[in-house]
Amino acid sequence: MATFELYRRSTIGMCLTETLDEMVSSGILSPELAIQVLVQFDKSMTEALESQVKSKVSIKGHLHTYRFCDNVWTFILQDAVFKSEECQETVGRVKIVACDSKLLSQ
Amino acid sequence: MASSTTSNVYIHVIEDVINKVREEFVNNGGPGDSVLNELQGIWEMKMMQAGAILGPIDRSSASKSTPGGPITPVHDLNVPYEGTEEYETPTADMLFTPTPLQTPMPTPLPGTAQTPLPGTAQTPLPGTAQTPGTVDSSLYNIPTGGTPITPNEYSTVNDSGGASEVKPGHGRPSPYMQPPSPWLNQRPPLDVNVAYVEGREEGDRGAPHQPMTQDFFMMSSGKRKRDEFPPQYPNGGYIPQQDGAGDSILNDLKGASSSSRIPQLDGPISDPYDDVLSTPNIYNYQGVVNEDYNIVNTPAPNDMQAATPAPLPQNEVVDDDDDEPLNEDDDDELDDVDQGEDLNTTHLVLAQFDKVTRTKSRWKCTLKDGIMHINNKDILFNKATGEFDF
Repeated sequence: MATFELYRRSTIGMCLTETLDEMVSSGILSPELAIQVLVQFDKSMTEALESQVKSKVSIKGHLHTYRFCDNVWTFILQDAVFKSEECQETVGRVKIVACDSKLLSQ
Repeated sequence: MASSTTSNVYIHVIEDVINKVREEFVNNGGPGDSVLNELQGIWEMKMMQAGAILGPIDRSSASKSTPGGPITPVHDLNVPYEGTEEYETPTADMLFTPTPLQTPMPTPLPGTAQTPLPGTAQTPLPGTAQTPGTVDSSLYNIPTGGTPITPNEYSTVNDSGGASEVKPGHGRPSPYMQPPSPWLNQRPPLDVNVAYVEGREEGDRGAPHQPMTQDFFMMSSGKRKRDEFPPQYPNGGYIPQQDGAGDSILNDLKGASSSSRIPQLDGPISDPYDDVLSTPNIYNYQGVVNEDYNIVNTPAPNDMQAATPAPLPQNEVVDDDDDEPLNEDDDDELDDVDQGEDLNTTHLVLAQFDKVTRTKSRWKCTLKDGIMHINNKDILFNKATGEFDF
């Protein structure tokens, strides 16, 4: 199964990476095993988002920058409004990084 | 902060990961269950500190008192303890992971865990490992062409080794930058199209990359001694990133007259240089610049422009206090200044796109399976629609 490393930049991914980093640095964990954990995280996170998350969000804003490179869209929005069922958030500047969903089904 | 649903999904993911890598930890001479438990403990601790998991005690106690409860449906009970059975019968302590609060660990400040730094070893984007760094840096980059560079900055730039090839003031990760976690970089760039085979193999495959880095360092030091160019350059021909410096080398050999062909090197250097020339006061009062200027640019200005900025060799001798080794923090400070925002408040959406369309200046996109970090909240979504005007 193909996976994205995309989600490693999320809070949970960063926490895991830091943890693994510390454990590898202190010699408790081998780098190979740490990478296996990260890859498993890629899978688990992707699966969880598919199966456990049902919420829908709408995003509006001024598109400051767009970029499509290596099948990854990057948008930088200004004065963006995020609306979901639960809440509404406004941010002055936000970056959206999105990989091609079709790559996962290959 | 995170909503409770986000927190639950995160907890589920943590346990899913832990359970699925358990076999690797226990079998084949792995480090064992205790290390895995420690991993989980530290991970959860960090998540709580980041506010991404709610109720630190809740979860641990819930898993003890009501195993199989809504939050922790797949906790350890479902996994046989083959690995530990050979030592002793499972006890309650072994069955349940230690509560994160008991785990001895360094305690970073809350929020540090959620600051994706440009140029760190994260490689979430398929295709290239460097894309995230570039993406990040370009996000915050404000062209600094018109920014006056003080003479002190000039000397710093000149002294700090590899910085000569990176535009000062830009957050672009230097090719010379020491990766924060080498083991993460020991693998080739991710190819999302290829299913993951085995971590060990990847580690082996990535191993040859390490010497390349070493060679690269050697090259950078050799570059500064211009006598060594001809023998050094062919050796480094296989290094793609030599292009930037290679141009200047070529110019150098040609006679070093066509200064116009090296915009990148000239940009940061020439400004302070002009300043120094045109404003004698600065020239006189700034002793450091005076020194460096003489050392570096004794040849004619013509030559000076064509040559590499001739930074002092970084990896030979640490000569003075300006010559700090590069590290990942260097760029971020500038980024922060540019952005005017704390890193903790960097808003980021990570998702997959189904479709992106544009009609004139109106963009529409449909995203799915996303993680948003907005206003210090983690929000997950299954679908998202975006409407942007450019």
